[in-house]
Order: sequence, then structure tokens, then C-alpha cells
Amino acid sequence: MINYYYDKSFEGLLTAIYEAYYKKEYPNISPMPSNNQLSIFDTSVLIETSEEKAAKVYEAIYKKISYNALKNAYHAFLSEIDGISQSIYQYIKLGFKVGSKVDLYLTDERVFAVHTATKSVSKEIHLMKGIIKFKKIDNDLYYAAYEPDHNITTLLMPHFSERFSNQNWIIHDIKRGIAALYDKNDCVITDLPEEIYNCSKSQTDQYETLFKGFFKNICINERINPKLQKQFMPKRYWKYLIEKSNS
Amino acid sequence: MELLKKLEILSAAAKYDVSCSSSGSNRKNTKGGIGNGSTCGICHSWADDGRCISLLKILLTNYCIYDCAYCVNRISNDVPRAAFTPREVADLTINFYKRNYIEGLFLSSSIIKNPNYTMELLYESLRILREDYLFNGYIHIKAIPGADLNLIESTGKLADRMSVNIELPSSKSLRLLAPQKEKEAILKPMGFIRSKIVEKREERRLLKKAPAFAPAGQSTQLIVGASPEHDLNILRLSEKLYQNYKLKRVYYSAYVPVSSQNPNLPAINNPPLLREHRLYQADWLLRFYGFSSDELLDEKTPDFDIHLDPKANWALNHMELFPVEINRADYEMLLRVPGIGVGSANKIIRARRVKSLNHDDLKKLGIVLKRARFFITCNGKYSGGIDMNDTFIRHALTDKVKVYNTTTSWEQLSLFPLIDNMPTLNDKIMSITGEI
Repeated sequence: MINYYYDKSFEGLLTAIYEAYYKKEYPNISPMPSNNQLSIFDTSVLIETSEEKAAKVYEAIYKKISYNALKNAYHAFLSEIDGISQSIYQYIKLGFKVGSKVDLYLTDERVFAVHTATKSVSKEIHLMKGIIKFKKIDNDLYYAAYEPDHNITTLLMPHFSERFSNQNWIIHDIKRGIAALYDKNDCVITDLPEEIYNCSKSQTDQYETLFKGFFKNICINERINPKLQKQFMPKRYWKYLIEKSNS
Repeated sequence: MELLKKLEILSAAAKYDVSCSSSGSNRKNTKGGIGNGSTCGICHSWADDGRCISLLKILLTNYCIYDCAYCVNRISNDVPRAAFTPREVADLTINFYKRNYIEGLFLSSSIIKNPNYTMELLYESLRILREDYLFNGYIHIKAIPGADLNLIESTGKLADRMSVNIELPSSKSLRLLAPQKEKEAILKPMGFIRSKIVEKREERRLLKKAPAFAPAGQSTQLIVGASPEHDLNILRLSEKLYQNYKLKRVYYSAYVPVSSQNPNLPAINNPPLLREHRLYQADWLLRFYGFSSDELLDEKTPDFDIHLDPKANWALNHMELFPVEINRADYEMLLRVPGIGVGSANKIIRARRVKSLNHDDLKKLGIVLKRARFFITCNGKYSGGIDMNDTFIRHALTDKVKVYNTTTSWEQLSLFPLIDNMPTLNDKIMSITGEI
């Protein structure tokens, strides 16, 4: 068994796919484990990320399969689900064989795994567009913290840049220590330590009290239904929701 | 009065309005402006009753000159009253919006002084938002019956959706419970809004910059269980509203007892949630599944079977059309299979282009076979497990849906009684997603 390890970047994954294709090997592709411990029983190959090779695979997927397949591969990659790299590799291999029809093979394991991951990512993006809530921490700075299951911060940037084009904001993924910063012109991804979140907690924003009051009063008590509420808004996200954090 | 207190009173007063949708508008952000519309709509939270919070849903005021028996804000009811100024409404909306608490504003009002005065205040709130604050988020506004049509028109130009609530499904009930309102006064603005929407849409086809008029359409709301109408009457009314008034949505609101004194209102303890749910299911069948009201109900059975969803009920009465072969049936017929919704039907159509499907494949597609399996074959194979007989299937389906009517003290004995008094969780999710 041959194992390919890449550096956790999407380009790294594409490079691995490139190598496998040209070396005519059938590897197991996975990101480098965080403790750097590799299996001693199998052959391990460390893939050196190459922009050039990645770009070639990127082009090939777009031209020979479809834009949609490229998008699926990228979104599935961001899902960070265990073993997804191998599924993406298999999915793309099938794609090179059957072309743009690949997304019709809904019952095929390889396609199914990638579609499940993409669906989970899209679902979380949609939910987060709604439940992320900003706090005004400075005169003109709005800050939001969250811990998404998938690495979706990049995918949220276009939505919020369009909507809040006229204010400065930060969306902070505490779990991964990264954040999207927007300054009314550009949006960038950067590392951001957790301390920022703790600082923001000490600030008060009077509209939080108002929103909590609204939240309480809009509920019809005769129809109370916490189970349904959790179904839509899973409890693991509540930590960062002002309407739910203190109750 | 303190702003928080006002907000508490006026959001509590608005909560019985069901509509919370923020979809259907793709309004773009402007330079220096704030916000945009999202065509598919976005929910920003879910209240403790499980209903989504998408818009800041408030009344401008709950001071009212009317005395409608079913309404919590009627003049004779002793509740705390408050009124926002248009400026306060706009400030609250903008500040909530900037923090991503909401998708926009849902503004309704009781009738203060007279319809025109009220409508002017609503217009002013929207004008401040759109013109002073350059707000491009979603706005749902109520048209006040009896207000001047010019006022309604200028307000509609600023809004994304406009609605007039019918509330009571027949003019007889209207006379009984809301003697100061008239059917014509309600239908007139609805007809007017419809004609304006059509007119502006035409204009925009020729001239892109022409102003839109309520681009996300018009909706209304009917109260279920406050008056004696049957499901059939309600459904026929909805069907007409969709056809003649081109409504986007009709909302149904289970009557929550807000008054115990009025002899014209039914004495119930719990809102008829399951009936409301069945009506929503039927409503979806009208809008997305190609059904007509006559197929679902008739004079002999004017109400839905509370134990069975309307589509399964229809299917059991038309067993001659089943089983349906999954690999060959057309889209319209797939949609008529209980348990297969729009999403599932689309997936089946796509997946069968490259492979003939068996039962395991359907499971992989994520299609729930709990009900569907009784009505389908895959390559000629039937996996219902019991005979294709409507009595057996009816039994197998109803056994799982537990229902009990607690609103009356007596009950017609049935073969399959017993039972909890609430719709199942699954039922409730369906009532929101609309997939049957």
C-alpha cells in the first residue's frame, strides 16, 4: 500500500492527484497527520506541493469534467471530514473517465461521499449566514466569533462583503484560529488568536439587550417546542449566540 | 417609555402573524448603502416555539380602534399599549441589521386614529429606511384595508413584499367576529396590489431602471379554528387566491385562544396545530405538486383525516394508479407518490439517467421509504411487505402517526385511537420544509 501525504492545502491535494496520475500509482491520499507520525508498514510518500502541477489538475477538472465538479471537490475539501481526501481523489478519477456526467452517479460510493460532504458544507454555510451575530466592539468595528464544523470562513466572505460593504467587520473561527477581516474595500483571511474573543466579551453592546427582549417576546408560549428549535439550530452552536448564551 | 419596553410590547403583539419569509427578493446593495436581499431567504434564529426568526417582526403600534373578537389587540382587551415613532422603527431595524440579527423588517400595525393615518406612519418608516439610511434589506409591509390606494402604492414601491390579512375565511364569520371590517375592504387593496405588481413587472421588462413594486409578491393569512369553516372552504379560498390574486403564499394560523368571554368563539384549550399542519401540507400540494383542491377534498369529506397526510390519503383513494415504477414514471407521477417530494423526485430523475435504480439505490439517494415503499416498484419489484390493499396500507401508515384531538371533550371512536396530542417532530419539520 502506498500512502501519499500532502500539506493540508487544496493545492497539495491537487498535486498528489497529479503525481498519482503520472506515476500510475494507486495511493491512499491523506493530509499530513498533525503529529507527523506515519505508518511504518506502508510506503509513505510526502508530496511536495507544486503550484504548477496543482494548476494543471485544476484546469483539467474544469475542462474535462465540469465547473461543478471543481466546486464540489473544493467544498468537500473544506469539509475536513476524515478520509475525504481519498474520496475526492476517487471522485475526480471517475470524473476523468465519465466526464461531466459524474454528478449523475448519485448512487456510486465515490460520488456519494463527495456529495454528502458538499451538502453538509452548503448547509452549514447557509445556517451561518443567518446565525452569526456581530457585536459592535469599537466605534465602527463589528466582531463575530463562531466554531463551525467545516472550514467555511472563506466561503462566507463574499456574502458578508456584499451585504455589509459599508462597515468594518471580523468573522473569527475560534476553533481554527483564523479570521476574515474586512475594511470596506478588501477582505482577507488571517490568523487570529483566541484572546481577541475574550476581549470582546468584556465590551457591552446595548442592542444585545434589545435583541434578547425581542427574542423572548416573539415566541408563542402555547406552542413552545424546544426539540424543534434544536433541530434547526443545533446546541453545539449556542455558545456564540447572544439570544441563547445566558439562558 | 423606554425603548426596550416598547419593543417587548410591540413584538409580543406581532407574534401571531405567521409570515416570516424573507425570500423572493434579490434587491442589490447600492454604493454606500447597507444590505441586500437573498433570493432563498435566510433565518437568523429560531424562537423557543421552533418558529424561525428572519425579520424584525413588530407592530408600529397596538393602539387600535377596532374590536375584532379573535385579536389580542382589540380595543376592549386590557393589554399594555405602546407606539413607536417611524424614526425609532428605522433605527432599530438598521442597528439589528448591522449586527446580522435579522434579514429585514416585518412591519404591521393596529389601526390608530384611522386607516390613512396608520398607513402614512408605515410609509414614513419605510421612507426613512430606504432614503435616509440607504437600506437595501428585506421589508415586508402590511397594507391597511381602507387606506388610500395612492398611499398603498407609494409604500409598495419601497417594500419587497406586501400583504393584507384576510384572517377569517368567510364573510359570514367576518360579520360575526369582526363587525367593523368588510370583505370588500380587504379584497380591494389585494386586487390593487396585484395589478400594481403585474404593471411594474411589465415596465421593468422594458426599462430595467423602472421602480419595482413589492418584487417578492403578496401574501395573506387565514386563522384556522376560530370560525366554523371546513378545510374544504379554506383550501378552495386559498386556491382562488393563488389563481386570481397571484399570491405568493397563504399562511395559516392555528387559533390561539385570546379571549374567553366571546360566545361566538370556540372554547378550546390548545391551538389546533395538527389541523394547521394538514392545511399547510395541502397548500404545498396545490402550489408545487400539481394538485387541485377538488382532488383532495369534496363535499362528502370536507375535512382532512387528522391521522393521515393529504397526499397519502389521496393515494389510498386512488390505488388504481399505483404502484408506480420508479425507473419509468414521469416527474408529475413521481411527485404524487406519498413520501416523495420535489427534491427526491429530481434526484430520481437525475440518477436513473445513468443507472436503473433498486431499493438500496433509493436509500442511498436519501429517499425516505417509510411511506413510499407501499406505492412503488423498482424494476418491477415491490417491497411494501404487505399486500397492495388500501385497508392494509392505511393501517400501516396511520399506526405510526399518533394523534388525539384534545380540543373537544368527546371523540368519535375510531379503530386506531390513542395517542398523543401533538404532531410528531417529523410532521413539524415537514410543515416548514413542505416536503411531503
